[in-house]
Formats: sequence, C-alpha cells, structure tokens
Amino acid sequence: MAQPAVSATPSKKAVLSTLEFLYKHGTLLAILAVIAYFGITQDQFFTYENFSDILRSISIVTLVAIGITFSLIVDGFDLSVGSTVSLATIASAAALVLYRQEIFVTLLVPLLLGIAVGLLNSLLIVKFKLPDLLATLATMYAINGVQLTYTKGFSIYNDMPLPDGGTAPGKFIPSFLFIGQGELFGIPFSVLLMLFVVIAAHLFLTYTKPGRLFYLTGENREAARLSGIPVNRYRTYAYVISGFFAALGGIVLASRIGTGQVSAGASFLMDGVAAAYIGFSVFGAGKPNVIGTLFGSILMGVLLNGLTMMNVPYYAQDIIKGAILVGALALSHWQKK
Amino acid sequence: MKAIEKAFGTVRVLNGVNFDVRPGEVHALLGMNGAGKSTLMNILAGAILPDAGTITIDGTPCAFSSPREAKQAGIGLVVQEVDTALFPGLPIYENLAADELADVKHHPIRSLREEKKWAAALLHRVGLSIPPTKLVRDCSLHEKQLIVLAKVLSSNARYIILDEPTAALSEAETKRLFAIIHELKQQGVGFIYISHKLKEVQEIADRLTILRDGRIIYQGAAGSLSLEDIVLHMTGTKQAATAKQARTYGSEIAFAARGIKIDKTSTTVDIYAHRGEIVGIAGLVGAGKTELAESLVAHRKTSGEWQLDGQHYTFSSPYEAIAAGLCLIPEERRKQGLFLPESVQTNLTVRLLSWLSRWQWISRMKETDAANGLVRSLGIHPPSPSTAVRHLSGGNQQKVVIGKWLNTNARVFLFDEPTKGIDVHAKQDVFSIIRTLADEGKTVLYFSSEFRELLEVCDTIYIMVDGRLLARLPAAELTYEQLVYYCSGGEIDGPAGRFRDTVEKSGVVYS
Repeated sequence: MAQPAVSATPSKKAVLSTLEFLYKHGTLLAILAVIAYFGITQDQFFTYENFSDILRSISIVTLVAIGITFSLIVDGFDLSVGSTVSLATIASAAALVLYRQEIFVTLLVPLLLGIAVGLLNSLLIVKFKLPDLLATLATMYAINGVQLTYTKGFSIYNDMPLPDGGTAPGKFIPSFLFIGQGELFGIPFSVLLMLFVVIAAHLFLTYTKPGRLFYLTGENREAARLSGIPVNRYRTYAYVISGFFAALGGIVLASRIGTGQVSAGASFLMDGVAAAYIGFSVFGAGKPNVIGTLFGSILMGVLLNGLTMMNVPYYAQDIIKGAILVGALALSHWQKK
Repeated sequence: MKAIEKAFGTVRVLNGVNFDVRPGEVHALLGMNGAGKSTLMNILAGAILPDAGTITIDGTPCAFSSPREAKQAGIGLVVQEVDTALFPGLPIYENLAADELADVKHHPIRSLREEKKWAAALLHRVGLSIPPTKLVRDCSLHEKQLIVLAKVLSSNARYIILDEPTAALSEAETKRLFAIIHELKQQGVGFIYISHKLKEVQEIADRLTILRDGRIIYQGAAGSLSLEDIVLHMTGTKQAATAKQARTYGSEIAFAARGIKIDKTSTTVDIYAHRGEIVGIAGLVGAGKTELAESLVAHRKTSGEWQLDGQHYTFSSPYEAIAAGLCLIPEERRKQGLFLPESVQTNLTVRLLSWLSRWQWISRMKETDAANGLVRSLGIHPPSPSTAVRHLSGGNQQKVVIGKWLNTNARVFLFDEPTKGIDVHAKQDVFSIIRTLADEGKTVLYFSSEFRELLEVCDTIYIMVDGRLLARLPAAELTYEQLVYYCSGGEIDGPAGRFRDTVEKSGVVYS
C-alpha cells in the first residue's frame, strides 16, 4: 500500500511546485518572454537608446503607480491621481511661464497641491467615511475641472500670447527642463529619480515601523485598530503620499514635454493602476509592493515600446494592456487561494 | 415527535426524545448549550434528518426532507437573527409576499393594492399598526420580529417555533410580544418556545420540556416547577465544588470605569477590579458582554470615565486606551485579532515595534529574538515565528493574539470569550497564561458565557443581564447552578431561594 503512495507523491509534488513556480515568477517570465520576443523580431530593440527610452517612458507611470500602491496597501484606492498629474503639470508650467518663478517655487507649488488633493481625499474617505472609489472619482472630476478652469482649456507654453495682448513673461527654465530631459552619467535624470523613489519607498515599506503599520492597517483594519495602531492617521498618510507622488509625476511630465498641457495626466491613472496590480503577482507577494509595481510598469513599457515598433496603432495597444491586467489579476487571485 | 434519535459522528446528540405540542399552547424547550435543543428543532423544521423516530402532525405521519416540506406541513420557524430572514431594502408587504413569489406556480401578475391590503391584515394579526409600505430597514428589531412572525403565519403555520425571541427586546416589547402570543394561542396556534430567560419562560409557557445531554429530564406543566428546580434540571446534579486554589490579590483598585455607555442596550455600566484580580463577567449570549468589552477599550462608540492606577482618563479610540495600558483579546480572533496572511512574528511584534526599531528602522535580529522568546514561552506550535498565522490551529492563534500584549505596557487585560473554538489542551494553556498574568500583578477581566470556566478561572464574578451588571460576587462562594440561575434572570435580591442560603453578597450591587 505504501508503494503507490511513494510513487505518486513526487510527481504530484513536481506538478505543485511547477505551479507554485509559475505563480511566483509568472510575471517575471512574462517580462523576459516579451523582451526575448521583441529582441528577436525587432532589430532596434536591443539597443542602449531603446532601453533608455523605455525607462524614460515608464518613469512617470512608475511614480504615479507607487502612489497608487500606497493607497492599495492601506486597502484604499485613489482614482484621482490622473487629475493630480494634470494639475501639477499646469501648476508648474503656470509658475514658470505666467509668474516667472525660479525652480524652488515651481517645484513647491505643484507638490503642495498634490498633498492638498491627498488631504481632501482622506477628509472624504477617512472622516466622512465615503467609499474610496466614489470619493476619489468625485475628486478626479473636480480636480480635472479645476485645472481646466484655471487654463480655460488652453495649454501653457513659452511666449504664449496673453489675453491682454502681450506675451507670457516667463519661460521653461533649463534647471526645470533638466528633470525630464537631462542626463546624469549618461542616464536620464527622470530614470534616476524613479529608481531613487522606488528604492526609498521599498526600504521604507519593508524595513521600517511605519511601513509595517501601513501594511497591517490595510490587511485587517479592525485588528489593527484593536492593536492600538492609529489606522485613520495611516490611511490619511497613504492618500497624501499618493497625491504627492502624482504631483511629482506631473512635474516630470511638464519638464519632459516642456509645456503645460491640459488633461495630460489622464492616461496615467489606468497605466498606474495596471502596474500596481501587476505588481501583486511579482515574486508571489500577493499584496501591493513597490518592487512589483516597478516590474509592472516595466512590463507595460516594454510591451508598448515593442508594439509601437511593430506598428501596432496606439489605440489597439490598450487591448493588450487590458489583457495583461486581467492575467496579472488572475495570477494574484490564484495565489491567494 | 416520537423517539427522535440523532448522532453526529459518534456523538449522540438526541437519545429517544419525545416531544409534542398541542394546538393553542406554549411549550417551552429548555436546556443548556449543547443539550440538543437546536438539533431537535432543526429536525422538526426539516433542516436535518433524524436517525430514527417519527414526526406526526395532526394525526398524519410526516417525514421532512427539506425546510420547504416542513413549511407546507404547517411548521413555522422564527429564527433568532431575524435580519437573516428579511430583505432590508424592500417594503414590508414585499417581504411578506416573498415566499409566495418564489413559488413558481404563483400567478405572475399581482395586484399591488390587493397585496398591500393582504399585508396590512397580516400585520394587524400580529398587532402591528405600521404601514405595509414601510421599508424593513427602517423598522425596529421588535417590528422586524413580528414581521417574520406574520410571514410565518401567512404560510398557514399552525405550529411555530420561536427561537430566543426576546433576546434583543426591551421589557415593554417583550410584554407586547407575549400579548400577541396569547392572542394567537386563542386562535389555536401552537408554540414551541426556546429561551434562556427562565423568568419569561415561566410567564409564557404552559408546559416545559427540559433537555440535558440529549435526553428529556423533565416534561410537564410549567407552573409546578420553581425557577430553582428548572435550573437544577438543566444543569444536572450538583457537583462538588472543585477544589480551587485560593488566589490572593492586591487590595488597591487598579482599574475602574464609571458610567460606560453600551450603545446597543442604552445602559451604563460601572466596573472595577483590584491589582492582580481575575474578574469574570458572566452573562448569556446577547447579554452585552462583547459590547461592554469593546466599549471599555473605546472600540465602540461610548462615553464614561476610566481610572487606571489612580489616574483618570476618558478614551475616544482604542489607540488612547491601549496607550494608557488597556488591551482587548477580542472574541472574533480571526476577524479582530490577527493579520492572517502575516507571519507569527509580525503578529507577535505589532506592539513591540518601537522597542525593536531605531530611527523607525526595525532590527530584524531583535525582532526575531523577541518573537522566538514569545513563541517558546507560550508554547506556540509549530515553534517557528515565520509560519503564517492562518496555518495555525485556533488555540495557537489565540496564543498569538494574547502574546502580542505580553511584553508591552498593558496592565489591564480584557479577554472576550477566550476559549471559543479552541481545544481542551489549549484552554488550559490559556488559563495558565491568565493566572500568570494576574500573579504578575496585572488585572484581568474575563468575559464569558462558559460558566464552568468562569468559576474555574475567576476570583470575582459580575453577573451581566441585558446590558447591566447586576452583582459582583466572589467566585469561591458561587456554584454553577447559581450562576446559571442569576444570568437567566433569577433575582439576586429576591426571596430566599434554594441557592440563596449559600450566597453571601459582597461588594457593590449596581442596578
């Protein structure tokens, strides 16, 4: 009777461990497979310029996605990040072009606005106890309306004509443009900024006391409350951090394109959400995590880059994005089971 | 019901039980938890099948294989949790008609006016004078209960099972319910009345059946049995008091709380405990123990005044209460006490992170050391701090929940039903942890409906009934029967009953 049992266990175990391996590293394998596929089919794919291009293109999404990751960690959700990106873009452009401000104010104003949006979100969600999705949906609309109203729907650019007949007094200064266009040691500055934020956020969330308490708050709010964790304070922090990173993303965006385009941030919401959710499944974490979020946005970036090379139109690329998101969600859902 | 037998696995739950209800009478079914009441009623309601025995209704033998069949035969069940039987977002008349709608053969087109008229008549029958268009969500608990009763009546039930109908009702509402029961009795409806509130049972019941360990101990007229006799029948022969080690505790009051408001019952509670004292709060399920425990750590909305070691506080969140030295080991440990996907280590060190970290940076080495120490001293199995707590057994999970408070500033420990769902062995471990804590000078409040365990662990016991603490009695002078008697509504100050002579009342009595 022992004989069949012995022979049956290893094969069963092997199947199980293969599955486990897939769960754990499925997302990573997918990234490698995508890179390999494009590397073989596209000549220009494996070049330094292209990789630097991919990283540059995902730097803003990653910043936004890290903010979303924080809101997911406390079991919340922040839909307003896209509008916050737009708001920050307009705010920094306006500070430079319309008010002739130097770098300090230009960075400070959008970041403060981002924090203010976060505080507004947490006021609605934590204090007034509105459902997070609906509350941030409302702020998403309202903030988008604010930046449209402020600009009357026009983009802000160098030497733009003003209603009174003259031209705008200021311009995009080089120190500001360096954030999105400059390079340090041959690496785009925005990529360095992204890597710095990823590493700092990862260390913070994994190795520090407040990082731990963020996770515990999200995993079981009632148990956290009964353990003496000030859960409402941590939920507030999470939305503020989310707003801050969205604003940072908006600054990089304004600097990259060198104009303040209205509603330019809208597309970062869904890309950021997708990256954060894909991140759940990386290394089998099963929960929101910054490194996973980075890999999530790398996967999206590589895909979009390769598909563009293959002349897949941008509107069709959204189909691929959606499919990837579904796959990642399914993977992390199975992991939980 | 004749010679009903039922066993779950090897455990015989019902042993040849005979039970009958006549039209127009209230037959109370009594027994301690686990006596077999629920099983018997579930058999009658068609939810489970008996192993042996017959059911006869008005002379015709029946065998129910589903609750639907029981309903068609005229058996109605008013469950204890009435909210589970209603659709809160729908008006009353639609709730009443829901069963009929579910019937496929029902005519698809109905007249709303007729339906409302029909519903109003039903409501009138149960003594409710509220419009049938009112949403169930907006009804009081009492009204909801009567709506369920009306729904049961609408299916032509002739025998109605009432499961703990007064558990959440006020005195006035109970009186009204009893008036309606009387009315329906006149119309020939037979009631099976299950309750732990023995005084009310005496008031309403015509006959009594007392079950103990799956056997009928007593069956007969309700009036011929005193409250004391009922309790004795329910609990069995008096047990010799287990030789309990006398514990000593400090004389100074370490913890006191005054005017703590319990939102659910709108009552206020005063409570105190000495240093090193294990104070039990005994009460039936639904007496408000969990509400009190959660109010004491300000997890529920409450008001009042706290005193710890002579210092006065008012708390508005658990954060403040815990900072002052209170802690709660909650009843629902998986839902309220644990971070299930996290490791034993993470769960154990939640309260220690400040000590284990420097500049907010957690020292992994120190953390593992602290967790290892707790795992060893608590005897958590498997003895590895990296296991996810969701893989642990109930007893070991409970040790983790307790363990997170052990090396902290917590001075007053509130245990809410700490032995729920854990095995005998783990129970003893939990008891010994509690005793050790008290010996170290911590103060323990132990909320439970397991009366034997309360007597085993506690030095002093509060009697809690309907959101009020009625008395503070030394455990050594209490017997199990007395505890059951008091918690079931027996008067502590009343005329000297059979238990009275052994009771020395001490401490403060609140009313």
